Amino acid sequence: MNKQNSELSRAKIFSAIKAANPTVTMDVKTIEEEALDILKESEFARPKLLSEDATQALVLRIEAGLVIGTTCEKISTLDELPHLVKQFFSKHALPQEIKVQSIDKLEKLNWEGIATDSDIEKDNTVGLCWAEYGVAETGSFVVHSSPKMPILLNFLPLYLIAVIPKSKILHYMDDYALIANEIAKKGETPRNMCLISGVSGTTDIEGVLVQGAHGPEILHIIIVEDQ
Amino acid sequence: MHVNRPEDFNKNVSKALAQPDLKMIIRRTTDKAETKRAEAVANFPDFENARKQGQKVKDHTIKYMDHYLAEFEKNALAQGTIVHWASTGEEASKIVLDICRQHKAKKVTRSKSMLGEEIGLTHAFDNSEIERIETDLAEHIIQLAGDPPSHIVWPAMHRSREDVVKLFREFHADPTYSEEITDLVRSARRDLRSKFLTSDIGISGSNFLLADSGSSCTVTNEGNAELTITPPKVHIVTAGIEKLVPSMAHAVPLLRLLTRSATGAEITQYNTFHNGPKRANDADGPQECHIVLVDNGRTKMLAEGMEEMLRCIRCGACMNHCVVYKHIGGHAYGSVYPGPMGSVLTPHLNSLKVANKQTHACTMNGRCEEVCPVNIPLPTLLRSLRAQSWQKKYEPLTNRFVVQSFAMMAKRPRLFQLLSSCGVIFMKVFSRKGWIKTMPFTSGWTRNRDLIEPESTTFMHQYKKIKNEKMKKAKSDGA
Repeated sequence: MNKQNSELSRAKIFSAIKAANPTVTMDVKTIEEEALDILKESEFARPKLLSEDATQALVLRIEAGLVIGTTCEKISTLDELPHLVKQFFSKHALPQEIKVQSIDKLEKLNWEGIATDSDIEKDNTVGLCWAEYGVAETGSFVVHSSPKMPILLNFLPLYLIAVIPKSKILHYMDDYALIANEIAKKGETPRNMCLISGVSGTTDIEGVLVQGAHGPEILHIIIVEDQ
Repeated sequence: MHVNRPEDFNKNVSKALAQPDLKMIIRRTTDKAETKRAEAVANFPDFENARKQGQKVKDHTIKYMDHYLAEFEKNALAQGTIVHWASTGEEASKIVLDICRQHKAKKVTRSKSMLGEEIGLTHAFDNSEIERIETDLAEHIIQLAGDPPSHIVWPAMHRSREDVVKLFREFHADPTYSEEITDLVRSARRDLRSKFLTSDIGISGSNFLLADSGSSCTVTNEGNAELTITPPKVHIVTAGIEKLVPSMAHAVPLLRLLTRSATGAEITQYNTFHNGPKRANDADGPQECHIVLVDNGRTKMLAEGMEEMLRCIRCGACMNHCVVYKHIGGHAYGSVYPGPMGSVLTPHLNSLKVANKQTHACTMNGRCEEVCPVNIPLPTLLRSLRAQSWQKKYEPLTNRFVVQSFAMMAKRPRLFQLLSSCGVIFMKVFSRKGWIKTMPFTSGWTRNRDLIEPESTTFMHQYKKIKNEKMKKAKSDGA
């Protein structure tokens, strides 16, 4: 019954649109060309970056405090990561425990002295994830859902460390949209593509900003030179 | 829950103006939003170009709406999403509830969606056996308080910290006894955390629907959308058909505009594109994904030449900058959408007959149009609704009598001048020390503030006098 009603509503909606715009072309090529023309304006309709170099622009943005609750640092090899994580624990007086995304490049590091596992639970304190991309324009990192990337890893912990490979830092969100389009063409679009730009925050009570509303309160981004 | 009705607008306004703290509470947030937006725009020299581009994206999609709707449906189905269509809000709510019942859902979590309010989804759940849990902090507050939202971005703007303290102490399992805002937020985090993880179904709205991929995009600062959607087995999206854009690349310019216009931030913390149910072996995510595409008056707006209003991306900038909204708040409008955008939308979603008074609650100062990220000519649309309201004889008889009398006089200059002169004398009779406290026929004004004493003569009289003096001076200078 619901399906029938839905189809009836669909027909009603399409016929109402047609009736409102009876003369509009439905030539797909024309529509696509018009849509592409609009995108050509993006170059003159987006904010200036803080540096021409994407990595530098992302770092400057975070250092200027423009990405809420976020700090960042750079490392030359991934082997340095456990040491940085330990420093992060000391800085925030945290227990030496971390939920690590279950991927080889993170799991195979020397985590001696730190309890690691990848089971996401209700009240995790610190999470560590590997970002697919970084975006300088917004100070974002991007994660894609997959068998090895539980989306909740980025939302349940109170502290989150995200590693971004330097070569994957893009200048603008438009650049990421192009990549997403290529992924779609290959039929490999993941269930979720999350652009995360800072920590979970709210201004819902008297307009006062509070970090850690539902997700992380502190985010630390580590940029790693290419492996 | 007491909900104001749009047809009682004047009564609602009186009630709002009688609340001593309301104006201060509203301005605390809207003034901050106004300042922060101005800063964000100042830091983005090409903001005007961005607005033009954003407008073009929306106009293009609206122009080819049937093409993009078909495209979206095809691609959403290919992702494994089940697509539903609803002509009315009632139909949309029924579809959502039926899905929940098919899955024997006992509780659902919901991230903020104004469309959900518009289609009456919150009431539909409250009248059902299924528990509704709002996860956006502001929606959580108003759910506990039993209030409707009063702003589209900050729905609990009308509630003070003291109100929140009382609500959380009454309803939270492990409440805080602190009155610090940080501790209140922590209390909500504790209370909602297990609810996120044990919900049967997650319901979200969508800020953008991407036609070329069949994706829906959620935009939040709290991250509650992802926490609402990911753990349950089923995800239901409700979205208005005007949320379409051709692709992610077309959503990007609108993302740039949306947050800057709403809160003054450059981007929201969480922008997530949802593409159907979880893939095989995905670590988490819902197994089933539904999307309910809702018309509810949108095609009527297309037919009635109000397509510019379909550009709206629900940023709330128009209400943050509206002098009327800042005085009366959102509840006075008696509808889901308050402020200037609401005054244009409500007559279409409800009817002009019940919501015509809101179209007059505008000073025509043009601020809403100036700050609209997609250049919606809100004052022009309001004027057109006023004209329709007049033509359909929805105005009260007294208003019609006054306007028709004015029109009659304005066509007869001598009579107009005579009556204006009499009016000045009449007003002078009631004037004391430069102000008029009371006067017949003006109680609507003098109830809340004094009228200033008029000049001794009419405008026309003064104009002629000045003109004559100038002419005389010019003649004498020439001589």
